[in-house]
Amino acid sequence: MIRKKGLDICLLGFLILSIGCVPKSGTTLSPGLPEDLPGCYAIFPTGPWESVHRIEATLRGGGSSSLLGVTKGEPLERRLESLLLTPEGFILFDAERRESGIAVRKAMAPFDSPAFARGLMEDVTLLFLPPQAKPTTWRKETDGTMICNWEGPDDSHTEIRGSMDSGWRILRRDKQGEVIKEVVLNGPFVNGLASRMELRAFKPASYRLRMILLQAFP
Amino acid sequence: MKKFLFLCVLVATALLWAAAVLSQDWTSLKEASRNIQSVKAEFLQKRYLQILTKPLLSEGRLFFHVSDSLRWEYLSPLRSVMLQKGSTIQVYNYSEGVWKPEMTQAIESRRMVLAEISQWFQGRFDESKSFKHLYSPGPPARVIMVPGEGINRFIHQIEIVLSVRPGVIDRVEIEESGGSRTSIEFRNVEINSSFSPEVFEKP
Repeated sequence: MIRKKGLDICLLGFLILSIGCVPKSGTTLSPGLPEDLPGCYAIFPTGPWESVHRIEATLRGGGSSSLLGVTKGEPLERRLESLLLTPEGFILFDAERRESGIAVRKAMAPFDSPAFARGLMEDVTLLFLPPQAKPTTWRKETDGTMICNWEGPDDSHTEIRGSMDSGWRILRRDKQGEVIKEVVLNGPFVNGLASRMELRAFKPASYRLRMILLQAFP
Repeated sequence: MKKFLFLCVLVATALLWAAAVLSQDWTSLKEASRNIQSVKAEFLQKRYLQILTKPLLSEGRLFFHVSDSLRWEYLSPLRSVMLQKGSTIQVYNYSEGVWKPEMTQAIESRRMVLAEISQWFQGRFDESKSFKHLYSPGPPARVIMVPGEGINRFIHQIEIVLSVRPGVIDRVEIEESGGSRTSIEFRNVEINSSFSPEVFEKP
């Protein structure tokens, strides 16, 4: 009887230990239901579009600049044209992003460095084009919140999370898992474009872009 | 036949008279501009960009005084102001309820633009260091400003359309290299009206 009780305790101990070793199930998403997949693309315009945004750029030192941003997109060709203008209408920066790379048509100081052009077009791409491949995982919560994850070719990671009611958040992580850029989008959406957006960049440079949609054409 | 000839002479005389009244010759234009001490006006700016189907509209107002003072202010869609008093130029943007100094002042290019605008309001088109001028008596009278070497990489030409009111500019058309252009229409133009000198100092 004593031996049987000792065996039971031993089995219970193994059971507790084995439960402790089961991986947590809540953090990993299954690939997702096919009917939920379009929700991962809800914040991106589907057809050709053009827009004008009021941009408030703030650098880490506290300096700020108000600019006009003009963007034209062809989502199917993954083509974007982007202009930065002063409030008076001077063109400070004019570039185009195609599959083949970035072509800078005009760049005035201090917007004339290749690093600025690359960074700006990365931001515009993050804001207006979904990652190129299909998400690796996605899920629709009971409250309608979509959670979608993409793995990038350079081990970067993009997460899009939100709903039309609560707003959306895009997180871009580097291969170490650190958030390098965060975008918050709020509706109403006009021709597929969010009325208000805020992009915060943390690495390598730290800055914030607040964008208000002024004009949008399909 | 005599009746027809008489009619032709009458029509031709009428046309010549109308042209003489409506057009401004260069000398009278300079004379009228010499009396301008200050200008106050509103403007509508239409920015035509090749990538936009519709122009980008901006509204604003300006104050000019002959003592090298200019306030060029945008009220929408971005609230922004350029202040010039003598050689000092300041640029501010209105954001989050306060005026903030512009980070990228781009003072030199703005200085050139403000200097040109100040000369236009005084009819001193022929004193530009950056542009050569061509005068067309019209009507409407126009001054075509052709940029010199360097600036012509960005601006193809500027056309200044003059009002029938002596010394008043109706519209400015700026054609850029690459197909973009800007039209600025002036409204409610007041010549030699009085206003506080503070408009050139504070945003």
